[in-house]
Amino acid sequence: MFAVTDRGSSQTIARQQVTSWFSPDWLTWNKYSEGMLRTLEKKILQIVKTAYRGWYVDIGPVVGPADKIWTISFNTDSPNTPLVLLHGLGAGVALWCLNLDAFAASRPVYAFDLLGFGRSTRPQFSNDATEAEQQMVKSIEEWRREMKLESFVLLGHSMGGFLAAAYALSYPDHVKHLVLADPWGFPEKPPEFKELPLWIRTLSYMLQPFNPLTGIRVAGPLGPWIINTLRSDITKKYAAALEQQELIPQYIYQCNSQTPSGESAFHAMMSGFGWAKNPMVKRIDQMRKDVPITLLYGSRSWIDHSATDIIKNKRIDSYFKLQVITGAGHHVYADKPEAFNQIVLEACSHADRSVKNKHLALMPSHDESEKTESDAGSRSNQ
Amino acid sequence: MNLSFAGCGFLGIYHVGVACCFRQYAPHLCLNKVSGASAGALAACSLVLDLPLGETTSDVLRVAIEARKRSLGPFNPSFNIHNLLLEGLEKFLPDDAHVRVSGKLHVSLTRVRDGKNVIVSQFDSREELIQVLLASAFIPIFSGILPPKFKGVRYMDGGYSDNLPTLDENTITVSPFCGESDICPRDDSSQLFHINIANTSIELSKHNIYRMVRILFPPKPEVLSNMCKQGFDDALRFLHRNNLINCTRCLAVQSTFVVSETLDENLEYDPQCKECRQHRQEALVSNMPDTVLSIFQEAIDSANKGLLNWLFKHRGMKLLSVLSLPYTLPADIVYATITKLNLIPTVKAAPMILSRNITDFNIVAAVGTQFETKSLQFSALGNSLVPVNALVPAHCTTCSPITNNQRFMATAPQIGNTFWDMSKYFMDQVSHVLNKLNNKREQLSAKITCQLAVTEYGGTDVEACQDTLSTKNKMNLNFTLNLDDSDLPISQSPGRKFTSSKLLQRRPSLTINRTDTGEDDTFEHILQVTSHHETIMAYYYLDENNKVKVTEIFDVTDSDSPIVQTSHEREFNKNLEFDDDWDESTWTTTHALDDRMYLDERRRSLGETSEYSLEDLLDKDASNLFSDPESEWTGTYKIEEPEDDDDLIPTTDLRPESEQPEQPIYVRACTVPSFTFQNDS
Repeated sequence: MFAVTDRGSSQTIARQQVTSWFSPDWLTWNKYSEGMLRTLEKKILQIVKTAYRGWYVDIGPVVGPADKIWTISFNTDSPNTPLVLLHGLGAGVALWCLNLDAFAASRPVYAFDLLGFGRSTRPQFSNDATEAEQQMVKSIEEWRREMKLESFVLLGHSMGGFLAAAYALSYPDHVKHLVLADPWGFPEKPPEFKELPLWIRTLSYMLQPFNPLTGIRVAGPLGPWIINTLRSDITKKYAAALEQQELIPQYIYQCNSQTPSGESAFHAMMSGFGWAKNPMVKRIDQMRKDVPITLLYGSRSWIDHSATDIIKNKRIDSYFKLQVITGAGHHVYADKPEAFNQIVLEACSHADRSVKNKHLALMPSHDESEKTESDAGSRSNQ
Repeated sequence: MNLSFAGCGFLGIYHVGVACCFRQYAPHLCLNKVSGASAGALAACSLVLDLPLGETTSDVLRVAIEARKRSLGPFNPSFNIHNLLLEGLEKFLPDDAHVRVSGKLHVSLTRVRDGKNVIVSQFDSREELIQVLLASAFIPIFSGILPPKFKGVRYMDGGYSDNLPTLDENTITVSPFCGESDICPRDDSSQLFHINIANTSIELSKHNIYRMVRILFPPKPEVLSNMCKQGFDDALRFLHRNNLINCTRCLAVQSTFVVSETLDENLEYDPQCKECRQHRQEALVSNMPDTVLSIFQEAIDSANKGLLNWLFKHRGMKLLSVLSLPYTLPADIVYATITKLNLIPTVKAAPMILSRNITDFNIVAAVGTQFETKSLQFSALGNSLVPVNALVPAHCTTCSPITNNQRFMATAPQIGNTFWDMSKYFMDQVSHVLNKLNNKREQLSAKITCQLAVTEYGGTDVEACQDTLSTKNKMNLNFTLNLDDSDLPISQSPGRKFTSSKLLQRRPSLTINRTDTGEDDTFEHILQVTSHHETIMAYYYLDENNKVKVTEIFDVTDSDSPIVQTSHEREFNKNLEFDDDWDESTWTTTHALDDRMYLDERRRSLGETSEYSLEDLLDKDASNLFSDPESEWTGTYKIEEPEDDDDLIPTTDLRPESEQPEQPIYVRACTVPSFTFQNDS
């Protein structure tokens, strides 16, 4: 596994040399560097006590010619149902840092940068909403195949929640429990009845062709500063755990300053000002009945709750649990990590129970708090 | 749970709506700490002080309309937001405002020197409070050049550092921008991208972009009215979702405590309570209080009526006024810079009134005999309103002597202004009279009485507050005296300000079916609705078994007024009132004197005055009759009567201090004015 990791870093070095040959580092406007991203991620993940292992999973030609997905894993030897984490738009694996310890205490945890995001490769996605979604779902499925996971609890936040639901629609066999944390793309776009002044309509029309995070890339070296000013709340959420305040905005900048490939896929799936072209509420009834769903959101989150009622009604004869975390916003997992972890772990143990009920005879019982030496070793290496 | 209001400039009207809702449906929440920045701080202050909502609304509207009048809107150099706010604060804040808000109101400020956030919650004087509030709303250059000083340090708008100060985890955040706040408008947008400026979460939606512009450029009164309504609805939805709307009975019953326990209880929602459910159901379909709505309606009407407004509404005129900007603006700027540099003290008030009088006269002469009386009535109203507004500036300017030279300079631009005002007023009058010619007579007279009632109430309220707040305990005493009229006749109070027979009608009496009197009398009507915010009391007493009980009444039954409450609900409440056997006459004769004496003594021994002390006394039995309208109490405790207190003091010595049983005093952490007394000792 370390060989793979090392190969990644050697590639980085090579690329850095090339860029510095043609134009010196300080002259480039875009301050992205793979090495920088790697260091930042490592620094943020230092607050996670559990040992982890990170490597590129080669999923072959899914969207681009050779796609690789950056994956980190924890406690892989535990016999319990694994938990797979899908991050939201513009985020990466490191933003789960407040939750990983709690999750990894009882089960294997896998987190990866979605294809086209973070440290994963950035292929050109389709411009069609359905196709882009299928490409994303396929990349997740290929990743699962490569990882040889049979069944797992799938947790998605924001855009990750949308993709998790889309994945569960296509591959319900592997999803033991679907946990959606403030998912994006569920409600339908309501008709606009409020008439707004002409200049606002013009402005929004003009902004539509742009990718959502274009501003950060355009800002260049000012990017981290802009993130810190406009999203000071994100930095604040991690302030208690992270000593270096500038890590999070820099990490987010590095994640999003590369070619916007995953972002353009999102842009393709989006219609209007952030609505989904194919909203999930329309399709949720097509999901197989035996996929249990836990939906959780923060009380301050501004996601439309009308969709929740629809889901509730449509999945009346299958497991559906709604959890609201008071005082939390859209980034539930960072706003109230303890409450969030507890809800997710409840869902996980629900999955464990259902697995045990099925194969009661086959399942050997293991100690849950088992930790491996190899993990500890890899941590010290990192 | 604390409240926090976001700073938002002219969008502050949203907070008014939220405050309306809180007072009406969750008055217990207003008792905790309230924080805010900029406009939010003003809203927080008025919520803590229980300022009458109608007047605060009209003040916000006044500033907004003032800003809309000029070219370039609020950026016109002669528009001085700082002074307008100062005027408003001077007018509305009671003399002891700083005492009442200290520890409760938290104002977010930005220190100019280093840009750090400072939260102020202790105010030593009324002036200091005003300074802090002004500093919190001070946007450099827009409001003026030099930020105001507080304790020797210059501060500016809290929105630069922390626009939504959260005091602890359980802070209810109120923001007029759609975003991650507890109470905020929920736009029908995708809600995916949002930014966080100075702790205020703002979603990147079309509506929010529109709102951002409206922070400094106030919209039309219609839009402001809608924003206010939106605030009310959003707050209501929040309360409903969090099960914070409860009925009076429920709240009063459940808060009986063993004293040793912490008093910081959470109001639990009992899903079984039928009345709660009904109350919640009713709340869902309710609307803003009529006082506030009528003020909006007036503002909207005045913005739409009149020949001038009709003229300026047309696109062509708009274009013309924009095109003429390059010519009018330099003149404006020159005039404003001269006035801003204080070369000329502003003497606006006097010529304005003069010109109005002249125009009034002209109109009366022109219209002829048939309409003479009516227009006289109208102009009388106009005049009576002007001095109220003009009071503050006139008072300010008299202090500084004006030299001859300056006077000439001052009058030069004023002449033009006066002519403009005159012509405008003339146009307005003409259009009004023309309207009246076509309309029925009844409408006009009805409207005038209503407006008069409003102004009268407002005037007396401010006066009463300023005069009597320092002597509150005395007022409380008067309160009991009024209760049992046989004891001391009404005529014994020499310091009374209200002598009209009308006011005697609304003195407190323990009649329960007050609702029928409130229906036709407009003054009663307004009083009942505006004063519904005095809705909470807490009291502590020993019952028969000598067990100390803590009882709080969160009175939500201000909805007793026929506007808010349906007849069905009233019936329901009435039935509840007579659940217990309660005899008014026997109670007053046996208890009133005793309690009063005792209370007096307590006050003496505690050395502490309590705002609600006698009300509490009354409300001990009011726990039996839940729907006694609050307006009765608030109406009278403002009446000043200093002599009676002295007369009564000797009677308190009838019982020596040592014979009294031990009286523990329990003061709640949330600083509810509270009082301890014994039922029968």
